[in-house]
Amino acid sequence: MKVVAAALKNLSSSGVRLERLPPLSLYVHIPWCVRKCPYCDFNSHEARDDLPEAAYVAALVRDLEQALPAIWGRRIVSVFIGGGTPSLFSAQGIDSLLSALRARLAVGPECEITLEANPGTFEAEKFREFRSAGVNRLSVGVQSFNARHLKALGRIHDDAEAKRAVGMALDRFENVNLDLMYGLPGQTLAEAESDLRSALSFGAPHVSYYHLTIEPNTLFHRHRPSVPDDDAAAAMQEMIEGRLADAGYAHYETSAYAIPDRECRHNLNYWRFGDYLGIGAGAHSKLSFPDRIVRQVRTRHPAEYLKRAANAVPLQQEQEVATADVAFEFMMNALRLTEGFPAALFTERTGLPIAAAAGPLDQAEERGLITRTDGHIRPTEFGRRFLNDLLQIFLNGEPKE
Amino acid sequence: MHPRPTEFAPLLHVRNFSIIAHIDHGKSTLADRFIQRCGGLSEREMSEQVLDSMDLERERGITIKAQTVALHYRARDGQLYLLNLIDTPGHVDFSYEVSRSLAACEGALLVVDCSQGVEAQTVANCYTAIEQGVEVVPVLNKIDLPSANTEQSIREIEDVIGIPARNAILASAKTGEGIEEILEAVVQRVPPPSGDPSAPLRAFVIDSWFDNYVGVVMLVRVVDGTLGVKDKLLLMSTGATHLCEQVGVFTPKSQSRDRLAAGEVGFVIAGIKELHEAKVGDTVTHADRPAARALPGFKEIKPQVFAGLYPVESNQYEALREALTKLKLNDASLHFEPEVSQALGFGFRCGFLGLLHMDIVQERLEREYGMDLITTAPTVVYEVLLRDGTVLKVENPARMPEPSKIEEIREPVITTTIYLPQEFLGSVMTLCNQRRGLQKNMQYVGRQVMLTYEMPLSEVVLDFFDKLKSASRGYASLDYEFKEYRAADIVKLDILINGDRVDALSLMVHRDYSQYRGRDLVSKMRTLIPRQMFDVAVQAAIGSHIVARESVKALRKNVLAKCYGGDITRKRKLLEKQKAGKKRMKQVGAVEIPQEAFLAILRVESK
Repeated sequence: MKVVAAALKNLSSSGVRLERLPPLSLYVHIPWCVRKCPYCDFNSHEARDDLPEAAYVAALVRDLEQALPAIWGRRIVSVFIGGGTPSLFSAQGIDSLLSALRARLAVGPECEITLEANPGTFEAEKFREFRSAGVNRLSVGVQSFNARHLKALGRIHDDAEAKRAVGMALDRFENVNLDLMYGLPGQTLAEAESDLRSALSFGAPHVSYYHLTIEPNTLFHRHRPSVPDDDAAAAMQEMIEGRLADAGYAHYETSAYAIPDRECRHNLNYWRFGDYLGIGAGAHSKLSFPDRIVRQVRTRHPAEYLKRAANAVPLQQEQEVATADVAFEFMMNALRLTEGFPAALFTERTGLPIAAAAGPLDQAEERGLITRTDGHIRPTEFGRRFLNDLLQIFLNGEPKE
Repeated sequence: MHPRPTEFAPLLHVRNFSIIAHIDHGKSTLADRFIQRCGGLSEREMSEQVLDSMDLERERGITIKAQTVALHYRARDGQLYLLNLIDTPGHVDFSYEVSRSLAACEGALLVVDCSQGVEAQTVANCYTAIEQGVEVVPVLNKIDLPSANTEQSIREIEDVIGIPARNAILASAKTGEGIEEILEAVVQRVPPPSGDPSAPLRAFVIDSWFDNYVGVVMLVRVVDGTLGVKDKLLLMSTGATHLCEQVGVFTPKSQSRDRLAAGEVGFVIAGIKELHEAKVGDTVTHADRPAARALPGFKEIKPQVFAGLYPVESNQYEALREALTKLKLNDASLHFEPEVSQALGFGFRCGFLGLLHMDIVQERLEREYGMDLITTAPTVVYEVLLRDGTVLKVENPARMPEPSKIEEIREPVITTTIYLPQEFLGSVMTLCNQRRGLQKNMQYVGRQVMLTYEMPLSEVVLDFFDKLKSASRGYASLDYEFKEYRAADIVKLDILINGDRVDALSLMVHRDYSQYRGRDLVSKMRTLIPRQMFDVAVQAAIGSHIVARESVKALRKNVLAKCYGGDITRKRKLLEKQKAGKKRMKQVGAVEIPQEAFLAILRVESK
């Protein structure tokens, strides 16, 4: 009788109940670039000569310190230093940042520590020093190996520099990702193919291959370039998937490809609805507690962030994820993965029984968008191509303003 | 302070008149001037264009419901006159109301915009007035415009309408010029009402509407006898009796009176609950001393054009019923009954007087009642003779019987009068011929031509008016009346989406045009149906014979390239927006069809 009453109480309460907290990653945002690219909608700002590197590192440390109570005692499974262009920072800057992190957090020796680097902002020596500071994975923002397309994308590097940068990265690091894009202004299928051949020639263990998306609040949105139409872009996508598969890369997420064991652990944690603490200007966090899941956003503008982080009030926004939204947000991440997810993971991360999503799951299966075998839910090939349509099945209610 | 007339204005001092004018020729502004001149409203109460009281009327510059206003005018002879202005609707859809309004008058002002000249609707209404023995007083309005051509307009009135117009009054409702002269002409040239105040009561229902507080209000013209509070009234077409609760006049504010006497125009409230019980054109008499004969000219108005109205969200069905019920309170000519479509679910088949009427109803439902609607293509009522001799009226293509059971399909044919400048004659005649028109008459009048055609109504309801306007750079005008049902080689054209017949997209079309219509419709649909997750086949068929086929190629993918920690909220909004876009579409089988596709037929170009 008592048990039933307790179960009823649990059902009727609107809060989340988590048996176990998910793995925790750390994201560090460095908000400066040499130049803002016309397609980029990230929180990035053009750097002037006097980059306030030391002050920013100090602010990040203050930011982390004020966040420590919320993650007390939790081990960090991965660190990602993104931007912006983190490689703009000096090796000393990155070194003092990582030292400060290790002093305050449980960062084990196996922890994946990625740094984003853009061609044209580093030399071989800097890479060696990043490596000795503790960075063990590089993500190189190549985008293309075609001079014309690099120019159209507003990148500061050309094709030769792109190749040199990738070469340098692979000299110093085994674990390297190349960021590439297709569907570029004026790009033909042959050109996309040639880009891919160049990328493959380096043998990097990980490739992120994105369809160029025209995002609102970018220069491309205001002055739309002529890009390949849907059919042409789809043909490129298929070519890329085929070639990478032939070369031994597994297509493990919508835009991510890796050779075995070289998947990005940090991103996998996002997609498995893990936790992440984001420090730095405009960084986002998702943190779980036994009774709630919280999202935070830090102050976006670098100057404002510097001021507020120094006073230990870096947050601009903090809100609890409504129970009604948790299932959708889980799906939005987990269904990006080719492997899908076990039903048990859904329960562990959301605190909800898988039955809470039974209606939409049935509908998705009926429409051929997912399969369900032995308690494992997996998007079909069709479901992966029409992921938006699949996810919309899990959206409930009216759009929020 | 204006002097008030005695309770019973002697008939000799009463004038009942209306204004005949084309849309935009300045009728409402003119009426406002009269009210202002005669002190019916204070400056403060004088909102622009008092008579067009519905928002829609004001916006479109047209009058839908007849209205009336009693004006007290001190004429140059020193006498005080009661001038009853009875406003009339100005569109072909409402021509029955026009004829009823005119029947209540002894005089009419023919208002012509002298920068535009005479238009077909004006001609038709003026003929109605002349037929009913109404004295027509020509007024040339907008003489202040630089493009005013009074000579030309006078000639057109004399040539086309055939009444002398040399003595037409020159006026500008905008500047107020000529207003006094018009009122004076109403007194001098419009005869006072005749009628026998001691004969049994006969009052004519000019209009009726529903008021939330008092129920149905009838606007009547008393022809014989007197009508007073507490009288027991008999409506002659239905035989229903009601106790008169209140009578009065509009100045244009309503003013209660004890009685309305022969010759007067005013309102009657008699505890009538539903609008269809107070039919426009009906005769009101006393139950205890009934008139021997009703006044002539009453007819039941029947809807000419039918369309299905469906809520986009199926849970809005009851709300739509409620909204239609409320609209019908004030619009007896609106008909609706529940209908089920396989494609669109539960909705209503609605009958309208014409396309404008349909537009107005649709717009009011959307605007005043917040309904989100899918409207099927409008259709006319066909008469179907079955092999077994029975005759059916079919107002929904989906209900058309099997071809094997049909002996003959008859379509409504109208006589249409088109009035246009000569230079557009060629293109307008081509248009009429494309629409299966049969030329009956052609008459040159000055620079203008009057064309008379017999044409199937179905060819007119879709987009004929728009086409006519573009073929004549806006100068042609049109009027029509029902002539007869005539046998024609009509077939049902079905649209199939991925092999499934979509009942809401079926239409009736002449066999000669069926192939072309089918091809055109299918190619329009192809551009209107967005690409989806699979190929969508769109076909047009007559029976089992496919006449056209196109396919909407499947999308290749629909996926967001990036989604990392920081993106969740924004990406979610994007997906919500995509989903909301789909919601505005109707799911037919697995295919999502946007609202516009159901009206694609309206945009089909003629050969």
